[in-house]
Amino acid sequence: MPEQAKLAGVPGTYELPGIADGADARLASEWLDTACRQNNVPSTQADRLVLCLTEVLANVIRHGGVRTQPITLQLEIDTGQNLCEASVTVSDGGRAFDPLSAPKRPRPASLDEAPTSGMGLEIIRGCSDLLRYRHDGERNHLTFGMRWKQ
Amino acid sequence: MSTISFADVGEDLRRIMISGQLDAPGANAIASQLLEFASGPKKAVVVDLSGVRFLASVGIGALIASAKAVKGRGGKMALVVDRGSTVMMSLEATGVDQLIPVFGRISEAEKAALA
Repeated sequence: MPEQAKLAGVPGTYELPGIADGADARLASEWLDTACRQNNVPSTQADRLVLCLTEVLANVIRHGGVRTQPITLQLEIDTGQNLCEASVTVSDGGRAFDPLSAPKRPRPASLDEAPTSGMGLEIIRGCSDLLRYRHDGERNHLTFGMRWKQ
Repeated sequence: MSTISFADVGEDLRRIMISGQLDAPGANAIASQLLEFASGPKKAVVVDLSGVRFLASVGIGALIASAKAVKGRGGKMALVVDRGSTVMMSLEATGVDQLIPVFGRISEAEKAALA
């Protein structure tokens, strides 16, 4: 378990430094992967959660601006009778950005027109079963999650 | 992490195998080699992603750059991806599955790249 991991019960929370980099993001992904395994999240849903976390953290690190407060992750798992849900909330004190209201990029019509960057938001939208955003005046709180049947 | 290797098959085909997870560090680790391998002498290039656990946007960018390089010298690139996998979901979410042909079997991908 990475040193920065601060598990607070099950499933738990994790904290990255405010000025995080790709290596910090990789450690956070490893924490999420481990926490999903420990809590019996199916591998397909766990992989999608880790993928979305990778994209969210890349956006926060690249576009979040100056961040003095830590980035926190909260994993929640709800195992209902029929439908189960695992979600991750990423909270950061960077620039306010609501990915739900950001316009969708038009699909490139050909390979020649295809961009080689900036597709993270499409992956987050396309791979999540739920997506929520709020800004509390100081911090962004983005929640993404996966659902599956028992 | 991620690994990449290639094998030339016959006169016209190069098969590139990637495994691991293509998040930002994983994709950055293989991006320049992928472009180098795809820019080789073979006109048909198949990139086998069946050993990749997930594919982040950085990795998709590397695939697009390679496909453009292959197309630029008159060749074709095709991908091998397990249907229903997280990798396939990334390709569908970004529409890249409509730009670079995707196949479930390597034999199908090779046939398409050589056509």
